[in-house]
Amino acid sequence: MIKVYVGMSGGVDSSLTAALLKEQGYDVTGVYMKNWTKDLPGMKCPWADDLADAKRVAVQLGIDFKVFDFENEYKQKVVDYMIEEYKAGRTPNPDIMCNQEVKFKIFLETALEDGADLIATGHYARVNDGVLKMAVDTNKDQTYFLYRVTGAALEKTLFPLGEYTKPTVRDMAKERGLFTAGKKDSQGICFVGKVGIREFLSQYVQQIPGEIIDKKTGKILGHHDGAIFYTLGQRHGLDLGGGLPYYVVGKNMDKNEVYVTTDLNDKTLWKATVQLELTHWINDAPNPGTYDIRIRHRAPLTAADLTFNDGQAALTLHDEQRAIASGQSVVIYDGDICLGGGIVL
Amino acid sequence: MTEELLYLDHAAATPLDERVLRVMQPYFSELFFNPSSPYAPALTVRHDYDAAKQAIAQTIGAKGDELVMTAGATESINLAFSSIGGHVVTANIEHHAVLAAAKRSDHTIIACDEKGVVTADAVRVAIRPDTRLVSIALANNELGTVQPLRDIAVVINDEREKRRAAGNTMPIYLHSDASQGAGQLDIHVSRLGVDLLTLNAGKVYGPKQVGLLWASNNVALNPQIVGGGQERGLRSGTENVAGVVGFAKAMELADAHRKYEADRLRNLRDGLQNKLVTAFDDAIISGSQKRRLPSHLHISFPGLDAERLVFALEMRGVMVATGSACAANKGTRSHVLTAINLPPEVADGSLRLTLGHLSTDKTIAKAGDIIIEEITRERKRMAA
Repeated sequence: MIKVYVGMSGGVDSSLTAALLKEQGYDVTGVYMKNWTKDLPGMKCPWADDLADAKRVAVQLGIDFKVFDFENEYKQKVVDYMIEEYKAGRTPNPDIMCNQEVKFKIFLETALEDGADLIATGHYARVNDGVLKMAVDTNKDQTYFLYRVTGAALEKTLFPLGEYTKPTVRDMAKERGLFTAGKKDSQGICFVGKVGIREFLSQYVQQIPGEIIDKKTGKILGHHDGAIFYTLGQRHGLDLGGGLPYYVVGKNMDKNEVYVTTDLNDKTLWKATVQLELTHWINDAPNPGTYDIRIRHRAPLTAADLTFNDGQAALTLHDEQRAIASGQSVVIYDGDICLGGGIVL
Repeated sequence: MTEELLYLDHAAATPLDERVLRVMQPYFSELFFNPSSPYAPALTVRHDYDAAKQAIAQTIGAKGDELVMTAGATESINLAFSSIGGHVVTANIEHHAVLAAAKRSDHTIIACDEKGVVTADAVRVAIRPDTRLVSIALANNELGTVQPLRDIAVVINDEREKRRAAGNTMPIYLHSDASQGAGQLDIHVSRLGVDLLTLNAGKVYGPKQVGLLWASNNVALNPQIVGGGQERGLRSGTENVAGVVGFAKAMELADAHRKYEADRLRNLRDGLQNKLVTAFDDAIISGSQKRRLPSHLHISFPGLDAERLVFALEMRGVMVATGSACAANKGTRSHVLTAINLPPEVADGSLRLTLGHLSTDKTIAKAGDIIIEEITRERKRMAA
């Protein structure tokens, strides 16, 4: 019997993943990955409940259950990376890093060492011979978060939910009486929990007040407590009073200044060319040409020409896109195949 | 409905007795008045409140005005510790509330023996000339082991005499959290020999968030919560009239049925223990079987993952605990099981079964059958 280790988070998706694989005849072991969490005063640590839910479902399915402790690795590879990127004034994506470094690297390696033949997760994506494809549920598709995973890792991976839509998944979980069938989807970055990124970051970086400046007039509109907390295109949290909403159009990390505008068409908000660094290709690097790209999770696909200059990838977008921030990932598709992507310079 | 509940976790919470609920209800509606208000209906409430305290006090052989009503045992413990301070002595199997309170001042944590009993000798050795407080629970919440409080009280008396002879004027007091013993054991304060006593209504079929600290007249308490000066200034805030009236009814019932209920639970518990030990000859019973609350059965099935078992039982409608509920939530092994040197593979396979009002011949027989089925199933799965 093929041994599959399923990453179980205590949510409905990974619960059903385990249930489906068991029904398909695999020898399934549920694994809860204990990642790093910050205990903030007054905030209940959510992982104990999630672990209990995952285990409860494992018991319900009559499968083995283990806990892998990846706290140190997660802190180093995901949390520290995220904080450093923010400090550099960029907008990182910790979920992408978590998949690259933890789920499809350390978890995979640990599972294989422990006797697994394959791993599985509850991601909405499809995989075929190491080729990553979009999920059938295009609204839920999570390939954006998976573009930095290697083809070799994907050859050892199953994504049983890629064939279903989220409502179907909930129905199937309900039909099977899974304890987690009605559980709400988790929101936001897992380790930050419900506090929000701003409050989280403020535990690690000093809050230094600075000026919020109208880009057009140069006028000081108000004050912020650190440029690090602001992201290109951001509208909320500026506290500039009423009237037309202001958007962040830039920041100067050295001067700790945040530039804003009410002009939705401000050209710094819109970009047609993007330079990529740290490009990653799941299998072979694609040839230059026209592809669909996605600039953030759930953003609509948009066409772009991919070129290489001294090995550095660049994209020329057919239509300008709003708020492409440095540090964020752009993912490149050929039809429904996720080829890989890179990080905006 | 609740009669059929397969609930074996009475040490964690008890269902409110219907008779308790009934006496509480008027104080949520027509008798809502603040007991400190000057008009006649409010004075009635004041009178009822004081009478309730007096009734509670009677069940422990004390006076109503020696009680400080609190929002539960944790608050009572905190009030006792923060009032007395200085060097404190307590045991390694105490509830987290006591251990955490002790750690706020100079403290000595003594070890219990392998049966989960804190000996008077261990207390004697730990007492220093500057020890001000010794705190030992009447019965341990996980194992149900009943502590030799009277013997410990003798040790403290000896220490008092020693100090008097040496001209040492430092007082020393004995505090006991009797939350787990009420309703099954004699909790008369002078027979126990304690100077301070903590009780919790939520463990005796009364409302949650209601408790008390009794202190003898010799003990000077310092309020943690100040304000309008209620509870003789020791715990400000408008009185929880309904809660305290309910507590009084709960204590009255507990006291009246104590001997009967203790015998009933002992019989049921012993039957369940026999059944499980017969079914699984490797089962291990922890805690002294000579000194144990009639309600408690702590049983380990070596090699089993008790948490899995809890979930499997939950799906069959049987509610049980693994060791201490709080410890289980944090994913760490119970400090009590570590204290009695239970090997990890035994500790991790431990269930705490605690009986009470919801336990009947029928529910215990049914729960026992299901426990046996689920353990058998789990062992089969593990062997495969």
